[in-house]
Amino acid sequence: MSNKYKILVIEDEKNINNLVSALMEANGYKALSAKTAADGKIIYDTHRPDLIILDLGLPDTDGMCLLREIRKNSFTPIIVLSARTEEAEKVKALDLGANDYVTKPFGSAELVARVRTVLRSTRHSSDNGLLPGGKFKSDGLVIDYDARRVFIDEAEIKLTQTEYNIIALLSEHSGKVLTYSFIIKAIWGYNDLGSTKRLQVNMANIRKKFGAKPGKKNYIVNELGVGYRMCEQNDRGNEND
Amino acid sequence: MQKSYRVIKNILITVAIICVCFALCLIIQKFFKTGELIPAVFVLGTFITSVITDGYTYGIISAILSVWAVNFAFTFPFFKVNFTIPENLVSAVILIIITLMTCTLTAKLKKQEAIKAESEKERMRANLLRAISHDLRTPLTTIYGSSSALIESKNSFTDKQQTKMLESICQDAQWLSRMVENLLSITRLDSGNVNIIKTPTALDELIDSVLLKFNKRYPDTEVTINIPDDFVIIPMDAVLIEQVLINILENAVEHAEGMTKLSLTVLIKSEKAIFKVQDNGCGISPDRIKNLFTGCYANGTLISDKTKNNAGIGLSVCATIIKAHGGEIKAENVKGGGALFCFTLDMEDSEDEQ
Repeated sequence: MSNKYKILVIEDEKNINNLVSALMEANGYKALSAKTAADGKIIYDTHRPDLIILDLGLPDTDGMCLLREIRKNSFTPIIVLSARTEEAEKVKALDLGANDYVTKPFGSAELVARVRTVLRSTRHSSDNGLLPGGKFKSDGLVIDYDARRVFIDEAEIKLTQTEYNIIALLSEHSGKVLTYSFIIKAIWGYNDLGSTKRLQVNMANIRKKFGAKPGKKNYIVNELGVGYRMCEQNDRGNEND
Repeated sequence: MQKSYRVIKNILITVAIICVCFALCLIIQKFFKTGELIPAVFVLGTFITSVITDGYTYGIISAILSVWAVNFAFTFPFFKVNFTIPENLVSAVILIIITLMTCTLTAKLKKQEAIKAESEKERMRANLLRAISHDLRTPLTTIYGSSSALIESKNSFTDKQQTKMLESICQDAQWLSRMVENLLSITRLDSGNVNIIKTPTALDELIDSVLLKFNKRYPDTEVTINIPDDFVIIPMDAVLIEQVLINILENAVEHAEGMTKLSLTVLIKSEKAIFKVQDNGCGISPDRIKNLFTGCYANGTLISDKTKNNAGIGLSVCATIIKAHGGEIKAENVKGGGALFCFTLDMEDSEDEQ
């Protein structure tokens, strides 16, 4: 297997670095590791990894700076490792172009799942994010992009224009958390004081129409203080075809 | 703002006391026809002033005013300032000395009180630290012991034993991380200079997030949810309030013995959101209910016990967070058995609206 995905782990804590690298190796990826931002940059330039796992608190430069630098001229997916208490930091990282974040301390399954998702989604949507086939399917949820219609268990859900746009946007980036400001900009084009409330109201209506119950597995996950995440696409919607 | 307010208050006190003394002396002079009491009244006035005002300034001002008043109004020649009479001068000097000494004494007293309060705080902090260190030791023992045993002699354990050890490492590490989360919140808020940033949060999103996390930890515990059907937005630091709800729910699971029902209700009443968590377990013992939210903070006793609960810390985190939000939290026993935790949040963002 020479065409393994290369994953660059930039993390200064030796133990965490070892753990993450081992996890990646165990899951069939090739891990490269760097302990400083400078090293990370060098390895990034020479090896061109397929994905970067980046810790924000690095000894030499702020991880945020490195993130900005990499984003200047590449779309290499980046997953940020951050501490729980820094909601604002997460939002900032996502708005700077990070593909996802994982909160420390994290479980191994969580990290691997995120890596998988990010790799898959960036592979699929290398053109403009639209999924092939014009349909999004996940556990009974079907979004027909051509007809602009949404079905749950074959029953059509009547959505307003805005609601549909939000759902389409989230599904195009399924598995990834989209920040409030990202969604607002994409849907309304501008961001003012009332925007967040407008988004929240629309999301509440969507949840109601989807019959979502709090605490149950829903199609859209709330990331409190950060944004929303649509569950990943899978083929189980296919059975209805 | 605070400072100028205090200065005004001090000046008012000083002036008021002098005026009262002056009036009193006028009355005394009229009724008793004697001047002997007058210096004593002013000495008393100056003494009271220097005790209740801050610092030396007001006491000395009061002393000077008193000397002047005594000299001007109550000693011969009346209604004329005259310091050439030696006994007037002596009484003035005595009054000022008394004032200075009183001020010095009260200042010392106040300083001592501050030191005492500080050391009390320090003591509580030390107690908290001790309790926490104690609580941390238990899971650390498991983690360290099991992992080192696995490294050194992995083969002497059966697969089943190994899995069990690894599971306990995982569990205890999770417990530690929750503990650290709580401690971070406490220290962040307790330092006092951090204002929480309230953002408008949709209630159902908050509840959804709380339940997802809670169910992950306790998959077997069903929580009954009662929230308004309407779309409700409450200004709050969502991550902190989420922590409050999880802590209270977790507390019920860990401590309400015999619990079969656990419910979370949110009501909106006159611009306040009321969150209620009720269980039908064993309730809270009366001797604990008083200090429930202060944990080891209040009475200085250690809260830790061997059952690895962080109830004391968890609930005092709740209290700290709710207080920082300007809300109220309370706990009580319900008639039919079980405990009810209740806290309120304001629906309106107070003056700090963007």
